[in-house]
Amino acid sequence: MPSFVNRRGVRRPKRMRRSKLTYLLCGLAVLLLLASTTANAIPAYARQTGSACADCHAGSYGAGSNGPQLTPYGMRFKLNGYTDTDGNGFKIPVAGQIVGTRAVPAVGQSTTELSEADLYLAGRITDQIGGYVKVQSDNVGDNKFSTQLSDVDLRFVAKDLKLGTQEATIGVTVNNNPGFQDPIAALPAATQNGPPTVSGTLLNPSSSNTLAHRVIGASVYGLYDSNWYGEIGTYSSMPTSVQDHLGYSIGGDPGKLSDTGYFSFAYMKDLKSQFFSAGIVALTTKRQLPRTGPNEDVTDLGYDLTYQYLGNRDNIVQLAYVNILEQRRYASVPASPVIPGLTAQAHGVVHDQSASVSYTFKQSYGVTYSHLVSTGTHDIVRYVPYGDPDTASYSFSVFWTPFGRDDSWTSIANIKLAATWFRFTKFNGSPTNVFGAPLGAPVTNARDLDEFLLSASAAF
Amino acid sequence: MIELALRQSLRCLAVAGFLFGGMVGSCAAWADDASAGASVFKTECSECHSVKEGRNKKGPSLFGIVGRSAGTISDYSYSDALRQAHWVWTADKLHSYLSQPAKQANPGTKMKYEGLSDPKQLDDLISYLSTIH
Repeated sequence: MPSFVNRRGVRRPKRMRRSKLTYLLCGLAVLLLLASTTANAIPAYARQTGSACADCHAGSYGAGSNGPQLTPYGMRFKLNGYTDTDGNGFKIPVAGQIVGTRAVPAVGQSTTELSEADLYLAGRITDQIGGYVKVQSDNVGDNKFSTQLSDVDLRFVAKDLKLGTQEATIGVTVNNNPGFQDPIAALPAATQNGPPTVSGTLLNPSSSNTLAHRVIGASVYGLYDSNWYGEIGTYSSMPTSVQDHLGYSIGGDPGKLSDTGYFSFAYMKDLKSQFFSAGIVALTTKRQLPRTGPNEDVTDLGYDLTYQYLGNRDNIVQLAYVNILEQRRYASVPASPVIPGLTAQAHGVVHDQSASVSYTFKQSYGVTYSHLVSTGTHDIVRYVPYGDPDTASYSFSVFWTPFGRDDSWTSIANIKLAATWFRFTKFNGSPTNVFGAPLGAPVTNARDLDEFLLSASAAF
Repeated sequence: MIELALRQSLRCLAVAGFLFGGMVGSCAAWADDASAGASVFKTECSECHSVKEGRNKKGPSLFGIVGRSAGTISDYSYSDALRQAHWVWTADKLHSYLSQPAKQANPGTKMKYEGLSDPKQLDDLISYLSTIH
């Protein structure tokens, strides 16, 4: 996800000229939607398990504008540390993906290009150790590619334990993106579809100075009686030199984190033809941004609800709602450069919400609608020019995946053709003139950030 | 307030599920036994088992399962419990095995399945499996 606006609005006018900000904002839709085509469908897993792509992903391909669309079986595979197998020898845990995209922004030039090439190291090492590592190479223009270490999730798991009379699974995950490891895969880090925002939550990778891919953390998790899930862990940000080596600009550094805790708890029920879950998640930290600056306190508290109708897999409906509230005690209370005597608020709240519904027919044809909203406390000093960081957008996507099913030509690889419309109804607190351009100057409206994308992906 | 929103959201999800489930379920009821059984197979079994010959998933291929001796697919790694079971998968045996939790039917098995409690679905499923040769 892009880091397109400085998280603390008060510093933005000093550090970023408006023209640069506008340029970055206009690139938002492209980056956002490219991210939404990023795949988690791993043919290496299919080769390892003998399963079809469709067994783990509703649309037979692990990505779309609604994320990996994990089925309950896919969730169990993740919980089992990616170690399940058909028992038929060692399989090389390597897979690849290429993505070509035709991007048509509302403002600016259209492009058609090979937009992404990925390498996955994904699969089991032993019966108790497995993982997911994605190395992503993005076309940054003129067919120049920038390579980054994307999501990492390495697991150790003890399966088939007995806790009293019930079965239990206990594991450890080492990962670099809080929420990505969540088995239900509804949180923004897992769906890669968090609300676009000018000041989002820590758990939303769309936020600037995001934690995603720039931290490293470990947590212990457990599943009890197949239904009750709990996880507790911590994160630390990587040194800026390491971030640089992994392909990330130092300007997006999430800062120095301390006293960081991650917690999640969920109830999930697999009824074979239906599935539902309700979960809560929390992330709290003290952060120094910049690293030599004072501490700020940030705490995210959220919940997510999901429902799936799976039936005999011919008609699959998936619903998800995620609500994350972030409370902040800011490190400083800057004065307004415009209004004498006015200062920013010492405390603030940011609120990210997403709701999505998808329908998949025959595990091959699908439509997805997502509604994404980010709001925050009114603060005229931090959020220039209107004092509100509010952003609202929605996306509509249709896709076709011809393979990846038990009865298709191949069940362990796939291609995906998708068309996605992304629309903004509000940005930076306003539907019009979102940067507050003065009379006579070029105006950017929220809808100028709209974009239409056609993409073709192949996972092999 | 969060609790209220949670309750309302769960209620909406449940209503949507039952409406959609009822719609699709009524279509399935018109089908004959074996094709209804194919639908049951997709819901209950297909994630772990394939009906293609020679294709093992987490569980062994169910091609030709009816009439086959237990634990005899050569390239599948069975649990000791099933390898030593020494029974033949007749329709009756499948009916008994699948109507209860697998751990109860064959203690020590790797198979994780809670059993199929609906007798009509169980009959349909076995009818379908009988056609897979």
